[in-house]
Amino acid sequence: MISLPPSERDLHAYVDHQLSESDRRVVDTWLANHPETAAQVRAWQQDAQKLRAALSGVLQQPANPDLDPALIRQRLKRQSRRHLATAAALVLAVSVGGLSGWQAREITLVRTEQPMNDAMQAYRLFAQREIMPADYKVSADGDMQGWLDRYFTQAHRLPNLSAAGFQPVSGRLLSTEQGPAAMVVYQDGSGHKISFYVRPPGPENGFLPRGSRSDGELQAEYWSGGGYNYAMVSPVTDPAARMLKQTLKF
Amino acid sequence: MNDIDEHLREIIPRLRRFAVSLTRNPSSADDLVQSSLERALSSWADKRPEGDLRAWLFSILYRQFLDAHRRSRRYARMLEFFTGRDDAQPSVERTVIAQSTLEAFDLLTAEQRALLLWVSVEGLSYKEVAQILDVPTGTVMSRLSRARQALRQVSDGEITSPSLRILK
Repeated sequence: MISLPPSERDLHAYVDHQLSESDRRVVDTWLANHPETAAQVRAWQQDAQKLRAALSGVLQQPANPDLDPALIRQRLKRQSRRHLATAAALVLAVSVGGLSGWQAREITLVRTEQPMNDAMQAYRLFAQREIMPADYKVSADGDMQGWLDRYFTQAHRLPNLSAAGFQPVSGRLLSTEQGPAAMVVYQDGSGHKISFYVRPPGPENGFLPRGSRSDGELQAEYWSGGGYNYAMVSPVTDPAARMLKQTLKF
Repeated sequence: MNDIDEHLREIIPRLRRFAVSLTRNPSSADDLVQSSLERALSSWADKRPEGDLRAWLFSILYRQFLDAHRRSRRYARMLEFFTGRDDAQPSVERTVIAQSTLEAFDLLTAEQRALLLWVSVEGLSYKEVAQILDVPTGTVMSRLSRARQALRQVSDGEITSPSLRILK
């Protein structure tokens, strides 16, 4: 039960229909005898009424499909799946020596429909852009073949390109869908680069007949032998590419 | 899920209206609604309280608005620091006589607009509003009283007291 005269709070509660039925009747009666307060209450009621009317139009605006709850649910689900997938790729990459997540992800996600596509991808990432430090660098008396033999014992020997001025300078280990891979980068005096790439043939890929193909600015020579697939990658425009075709007589 | 989505679809126009009255801009209002719905749906299982779904969504949206507002104010201050200018806010207090209820409404502070919308337009109870703002019911009532008087004054063009300034 409210006391009279009603407090300002009571009057607001009256305007907002938040008084009990009996309190409401009490205020009604009281207001009937107090015209000044009644006028103020009426003004508040009118303001509220006007506000309701002014804001009712916004309710009629056409629906925005981006705000549909079913769609938002789907989007949230997709996002969390994507985060999971990224996390999985990172775990995989961390377990492979010396690779950062994103590069490994790019390589592991490459579908190798074209023969030795991964070799070209690796060339772009590591030889052209040089984003990652090498896992192995040839020092003065370094032995690149020895380094490679630690991982690929049965593999073909590294080709000798010294006649063309190319020396092996660095090696990297990579993770691919077909299994672990290694890439050795050769470099000549003017900074041209050729890569030697070796990896298992993978479950479906099988062995490759000797061949060559180009993809964008890169040219690859590929072949199989000793249980592995190989590729040598160099820029198409490089004189080294032509030289490779003649040198690689295995 | 479908029942919930149906219920949500009924509330969404009200959320959009609330967002417009806070941001005064339909497209950023919809961004605000979208991020609020994302927040609500992703914390649905563990956060959704008993009671009025609408009030819960209003409180999420209001909080997101305040966060965004705080960030943009910080950003505006930073901009001012670097450019030596303040484009984001009119620096002089302007006294304005509102021509319409909406204009008058737009002159109020964000919290006053929220209060009037919740109570006068949406008909939420004082208790629900108190929960949204996390203040006692008595505080809601005195703030509401001030908001209502402010609206009265600008609507009438009676006066524009120093407490009423454009904070755009």
